[in-house]
Amino acid sequence: MDMTVAKKKLGLKEKYKLLTRDLGWEPTYHNKDEVFPYVKYEGIKVHDWEKWEDPFRLTMDAYWKYQAEKERKFYAIIDAHAQNNGHLNITDARYLSALKIFLQAISPGEYCAGKGFARMGREFPGVGTQVACQMQAIDEIRHAQTQIHALSNYNKFYNGFHAFADARDRMWYCTLPRSFFDDAMSAGPFEFMIAIGFSFEYVLTNLLFVPFMSGAAYNGDMATVTFGFSAQSDEARHMTLGLECIKFMLEQDPDNLPIVQNWIDKWFWRGFRLLGVVGTMMDYMLPKRVMSWREAFEIYGIENGGALFKDLARYGIRPPKGWDDAGKALDHMTHQFMLALYQYQFGTAFHSWIPSEEDMAWLSKKYPTTFDKYYRPRWEHIKKLKEAGTPYANMGLAKLCQTCQIPTVFTEPDDPTTLCHREVEYKGETYHFCSDGCQHIFEKEPEKYIQGWLPLAAIFQAPLNGDLGAWMEWVSLADGKDNGDFAGSEDQRNFEAWRNQATSNQ
Amino acid sequence: MSYQLTIEPLGQTVEVEEGQTILDAALRAGIYLPHACCHGLCATCKVQVVDGEIDHGEASNFALMDFEREEGKCLACCATAQDDLVIEAEIEEDPDAENLPVRDFDGVVSRIETLTPTIKGLWIKLDDPDGMRFQAGQYVNLELPGGIGSRAFSIASQPSAGEVELNVRIVPGGQGTGYIHEQMQAGDRVRITGPYGRFFVKKSARVPVLFMAGGSGLSSPRSMILDLLEEGFDLPITLVYGQRNREELYYHEAFLELAAKHPNFTYVPALSHEPEGSAWEGFRGFVHEAAKAHFDNDFRGCKAYLCGPPLMIESCIATLMQGRLFERDIYTEKFISAADAQQVRSPLFRSI
Repeated sequence: MDMTVAKKKLGLKEKYKLLTRDLGWEPTYHNKDEVFPYVKYEGIKVHDWEKWEDPFRLTMDAYWKYQAEKERKFYAIIDAHAQNNGHLNITDARYLSALKIFLQAISPGEYCAGKGFARMGREFPGVGTQVACQMQAIDEIRHAQTQIHALSNYNKFYNGFHAFADARDRMWYCTLPRSFFDDAMSAGPFEFMIAIGFSFEYVLTNLLFVPFMSGAAYNGDMATVTFGFSAQSDEARHMTLGLECIKFMLEQDPDNLPIVQNWIDKWFWRGFRLLGVVGTMMDYMLPKRVMSWREAFEIYGIENGGALFKDLARYGIRPPKGWDDAGKALDHMTHQFMLALYQYQFGTAFHSWIPSEEDMAWLSKKYPTTFDKYYRPRWEHIKKLKEAGTPYANMGLAKLCQTCQIPTVFTEPDDPTTLCHREVEYKGETYHFCSDGCQHIFEKEPEKYIQGWLPLAAIFQAPLNGDLGAWMEWVSLADGKDNGDFAGSEDQRNFEAWRNQATSNQ
Repeated sequence: MSYQLTIEPLGQTVEVEEGQTILDAALRAGIYLPHACCHGLCATCKVQVVDGEIDHGEASNFALMDFEREEGKCLACCATAQDDLVIEAEIEEDPDAENLPVRDFDGVVSRIETLTPTIKGLWIKLDDPDGMRFQAGQYVNLELPGGIGSRAFSIASQPSAGEVELNVRIVPGGQGTGYIHEQMQAGDRVRITGPYGRFFVKKSARVPVLFMAGGSGLSSPRSMILDLLEEGFDLPITLVYGQRNREELYYHEAFLELAAKHPNFTYVPALSHEPEGSAWEGFRGFVHEAAKAHFDNDFRGCKAYLCGPPLMIESCIATLMQGRLFERDIYTEKFISAADAQQVRSPLFRSI
């Protein structure tokens, strides 16, 4: 009788090749330029797609298995969180503002990234690239969903969570991340990879996720910690895809260098601006803080980013143009942003508040050169106004930056007492900018940015015609519930009452 | 208490201490395993345990799934050994690696020569008549007496040479190199352990080779060049070799002779600090500058092997990359120290 020999198991490498690269084919009844119409117009020259490296060698069958188990674990914890009234375990209800901003401003970005990668999986000709983009598209949609599901428990009890999608589209502070993702999604495939794969996943993810998830852990929010862990196991793959794309472009042709440099300049600055929201959350909204925004940026931005730019210098890439301005903004940005949020608090779907004495002591310790000198006096003044029964509110419509779309509330890089405004005339119209970085981005592609939709302007247009109440309805903001000062809010009262019920016999 | 950790598909075995992670043991032994977060969250360092018991440490439940634990996967950055281990990592198999076993070799110092004011040549005749098998480019640990411990030196001679030659530059204040320069005598008994390292010529690629050497980094390239020429390698070989001044440029005449004898071997010496007006007619400047000029800033199509002080390596890598030669074709001798393993590096490059 013949010996039966067990079939040799395929090695990871062979299996990966069979399930990815070998699935590609050469089109015969259309030429490649017709099949992949967007891959050349950005000017990136590619000579050999086979040189694209796939460091993870993950095949679709294995991918489903991993993600399925992650989902099971995630939803088990989310269910437990709901059943055990996990919402009462957070430090106090001020923490909810951080969650609301995350849900309104960041989670929709994950969804946009999902849409973008689905498109890139179609537009890149290389098979390795297609597979990696496909997986990342599904990851990003999963991230958006798990975040929404995790936070939906809070929506049962608190205000400001219910209309995150409307907020994403129409709220003035959400247009910052929205314009970032809209800009990326309407770019060509290679630029999209720099925007999301490099800027968002490498430069920003650590700053966004690590401090935010640690913040959640410090403040007793298991649901958020869990989606953080569940997402972080995908991030290494995402970061690698972005970096692989940069290496690939730079190695394929020397003509790609200036194009890539320009994108790095642009997307570093756009990313830095986006982080203004996150930094403000870290410095002002976490009842129990992990580290200051400045400390986080020193570790994850300067140290890790610095290491990356040192390595990229071997290709001839220099640090992004806005690097120095970003450094100068470190000690000011979050304070200026929080002041802006506070003075427009009638128009935010979360609560803000005047920092307590204890908070201010912490801020002056973390920002010894700036807080006491420039920002504490303003808070003291605002506090006085409030005590006098005339709380400070800015009812004017702020000048918006045409690029990043936020009010021009930041100061000159070298003078923290002068607001930074830039103007450009283009085709007879005047456009405004918050910084040199945003102005430069506009000047490279004016035709793109003049089409930007700045939703805050809608307040003076028909049919709102300047009616604040109608505007609130339009952005799905419940006046007196979702907005305003934390002190005296329904969220504050309810949390205290429910927590008392849970921890005493009253 | 320590255990043996065998890393497949390399087949290389390294020591792992109680409580030391698999990743740390591998990196310190010069074996690169992919890794990123280093605390059990990102799963970049996932490896298969083929044999032996491990402790999973702090591996996150989302980074290392239950079914993977059952399949014997672990995260190298958190897992510690409870036993001798065999792991399988996603490392490319290297067709040029001979994976020679590491052994102890006793021998005697047959002669010591002054090569330059700062470098001595040391020849060791091994007791074993078959000598030591090694691949040109590899290194040995030399045991020194009096509690000094052992020091690593690249082998400067080719594998076919009867004796093992080491070139030792004196490190100011260095105990080990001080001993070799000042006290070691011909006739002393010594012990070496080796061969170590994964720095050798990728002969199977069949492309022209470029060596860039500076300071005391000449040993490995010299061994590799002598080995290649001896076995009749017929593609272009270029050595760009830099020292501070003419006095330090050891083996200069020998390389001139080799270049005269082998038309496929080109020798490009460069001096960075040679006094102006001296008789030197060769290139003045650093190794990377000499290479850029010699190759007219176009390194495509070759493989480059770099050996020398860290600053020289860094300049050479940047020069090669801007001359269109990239990571997959650049090799450097890596001694990864504990400090290197903790240094903040970007994940952009893996081996350079």
